[in-house]
Amino acid sequence: MADITDVANAFLRSEIEEFVERPNESARLVDLYAGASPEMQAIAAALVEGEDDDVDRLTTEALAAGVPALEVMDNGLIAGMSLVGIKFRESFIFVPEVLACARAMKAGMAHIEPILSASGIEPLATVIMGTVKGDLHDIGKNLCIMMLRGAGFDVVDLGVDVSPDDFIDAVEEHDAGVLGMSALLTTTMPNMGKTIEAFIDADLRERVRIMVGGAPVTQEFADDMGADGYGKDAVACVELAKALAGAARGA
Amino acid sequence: MAERVDPIAWQQRLDRMTELFSSLVQTAGEQATFRCPYKNRHDECTAAFGCRNQRRPETAGGLRLCRGDDKLDYRDAWETA
Repeated sequence: MADITDVANAFLRSEIEEFVERPNESARLVDLYAGASPEMQAIAAALVEGEDDDVDRLTTEALAAGVPALEVMDNGLIAGMSLVGIKFRESFIFVPEVLACARAMKAGMAHIEPILSASGIEPLATVIMGTVKGDLHDIGKNLCIMMLRGAGFDVVDLGVDVSPDDFIDAVEEHDAGVLGMSALLTTTMPNMGKTIEAFIDADLRERVRIMVGGAPVTQEFADDMGADGYGKDAVACVELAKALAGAARGA
Repeated sequence: MAERVDPIAWQQRLDRMTELFSSLVQTAGEQATFRCPYKNRHDECTAAFGCRNQRRPETAGGLRLCRGDDKLDYRDAWETA
């Protein structure tokens, strides 16, 4: 078993000492970080700080230096996210900080994706995600995107206040098989239906599977407006996307 | 020689990430019952929309401060029009 002094990175040492209260979790993280190279510890530390530029740079340097992609994942990116999960659970950080860490993780994974592609490992599918026109709420969508990327999907995030035309353009541009729409307001929910109608009008409805979600959205509402699926939360979103991607491939 | 990643080993990493992120999403759901999810650890608002709980930022160009006390349902304060 390693000791906290075996962790070379001072930031990670202080984070463990300040935020990790359960002895078994502290011991596990100390073992994990002490067994990682200083370069991997630096990636983990940058991810915990949500510094996507630093994760981008450090991951690039590590891979160029010949560090295997799986080591970068295990000892850098996933190792950092493990600490993020503990800090979040204990309310030392909140959703905005977690999403910043997820963006940092994406910055690192972007450099691993070409290696995966060269190894014959492709994304499960491309998913277009956005909050519908008139709606600026994005937390739920962003959590879905974090989950989808973690599960192996390629996600194109259109952001908030997305018009039907922008959804259509993105599906065509990225040749996406799955589209996810989010709405938090009862006043903007109907824009999901309008977007689906726009796909029908553009003669593109059969080309893409459409899933919807958001606090006021129900399965019944999804069925009424002609969506292919409804996800009640970000975890359900992933299972739904997997099913819809499979259906799209089989179509 | 270019590096090659074993698909089974990669799937194990995806499974680990899904496990980690599922836990994060569960925590987010629990936190949302007592704290606005747009409020960061510095009690600043990260929302792109208006909210009656927002106050002027402490520094020019900074994020607006959140003055919500989280004792009431914060969603009533969100501006929806």
